[in-house]
Amino acid sequence: MRRFIPVLTLAVGLPLMVGFNIPSLPLPSPPLPSQAQKAAEVVTKTGTKAVQASRSLSDAEEYYLGRAVAARLLARYPLYRNPEATLYVNQVGLAVARKSSRPTTYRGYHFAILDSQEPNAFACPGGLILVTRGLIRMCATEDELAAVLAHEVAHVARKDGVNSISQARWSEVLTTAGAEAARQYGGGVAGAVLNLFEGAVEDVFRTLVVTGYSRQAEEAADKEAVSMLSRAGYQPQALAAVLGKISGTSGGMFRTHPPSSERLARVKTLARESSPGPKDKVRAERFQRVKF
Amino acid sequence: MNRRRRGRLSRVGAALLLGAMSFLIFPAGGWSQNLTVSLSNQQLYSQPSFTSPPVMPVPQGAQVSLVSRQGDWMQVDYQGKRGWLHKAAVAGGGSPASGLPALLGGGPVRQTTHDEVALAGKGFTPEVEAGFRQKNPGLNYAQVDEVERLQVDPAKLQAFLQEGGLN
Repeated sequence: MRRFIPVLTLAVGLPLMVGFNIPSLPLPSPPLPSQAQKAAEVVTKTGTKAVQASRSLSDAEEYYLGRAVAARLLARYPLYRNPEATLYVNQVGLAVARKSSRPTTYRGYHFAILDSQEPNAFACPGGLILVTRGLIRMCATEDELAAVLAHEVAHVARKDGVNSISQARWSEVLTTAGAEAARQYGGGVAGAVLNLFEGAVEDVFRTLVVTGYSRQAEEAADKEAVSMLSRAGYQPQALAAVLGKISGTSGGMFRTHPPSSERLARVKTLARESSPGPKDKVRAERFQRVKF
Repeated sequence: MNRRRRGRLSRVGAALLLGAMSFLIFPAGGWSQNLTVSLSNQQLYSQPSFTSPPVMPVPQGAQVSLVSRQGDWMQVDYQGKRGWLHKAAVAGGGSPASGLPALLGGGPVRQTTHDEVALAGKGFTPEVEAGFRQKNPGLNYAQVDEVERLQVDPAKLQAFLQEGGLN
């Protein structure tokens, strides 16, 4: 019996040790079908599963989507090329983004100023955030600018842009019947993916520029922005202050989608008055020094 | 008899324990878990916080070895230095993989077919962006690249935060 013990030890131990190191062998591949056939077959097979997985984009895919949306926005609004102001906006933006529920993205957060007097801000998926000179000029302090940027970062962190891609968009490519899909998207699988990409860009762009986010998405972004401001050391009530000013304007997106009085009241409740900090004056002064 | 039997059982128990320990001592893949940094512009921080002083930059694709975890942070070794990386910087971030390939493939499948393998490399990729740009020449990608080129120096950001009394 004594002699049996080491044997038993090895019998239990060895399979456990080697069981995870079995090299994977390449499997033989069937002959390659044409791209169109491939698209048709996959489309037919996966169509019913599409809806379940629809909004799941990897960080890298979200990044390429956001770049395309930004490229469309920048074809419409010119950049305000002021290195000092751009660096300052990036510093304020990063100060709050680090405190968001998504402190880093595939290629990081980047902030830019659009040369437009129309008060507006756009959060492209993946972390490209564009804000107009018109909106920055409505801010009286760095804390108010931080509030605007925190709200936009919250939209990125919560993936509100990606979530605005219509359900129909996801399923149309994948549910189109077999050979028909292959004909429709000439390039086979690649053509189908490009078509889906174009549609997704269109949906996000429309949400940012025309229709706006849902009331629930705005409220959730406000809530996260207040939390980010507090955690970063900014005055959280700055969000209420800037929303109050926006509700009185008539330009940009806010003409058709002004912040409601209920939204303003909710933010005021969330962002309790905090006592002035010793560095409030420093922040106010450095904001005043930058030319927007 | 009972005593002898108990003794034999305890020896068998000890043997099983040794066997299990041999698995723990020699886990598959070696001692530490290697991870790949999947995001660009990442820093190794001295503490599990973005506000702590950066140790060194970590390029995208770098291999780091995991030392420990704490909440959303991972303590890692990279090029002889030890520091903290946010979990989002590492491929998968410790969470299950997702993405358009999963959408097109209908999520994880037990039997991977040739077609699904063909699709696994697809998704919203630089190739798709190239196709999109070709179809839409009026878009301003040059300025998108310009916006992305601006990198805030971590030390300067630290000074900016400190000056403004920020955390």
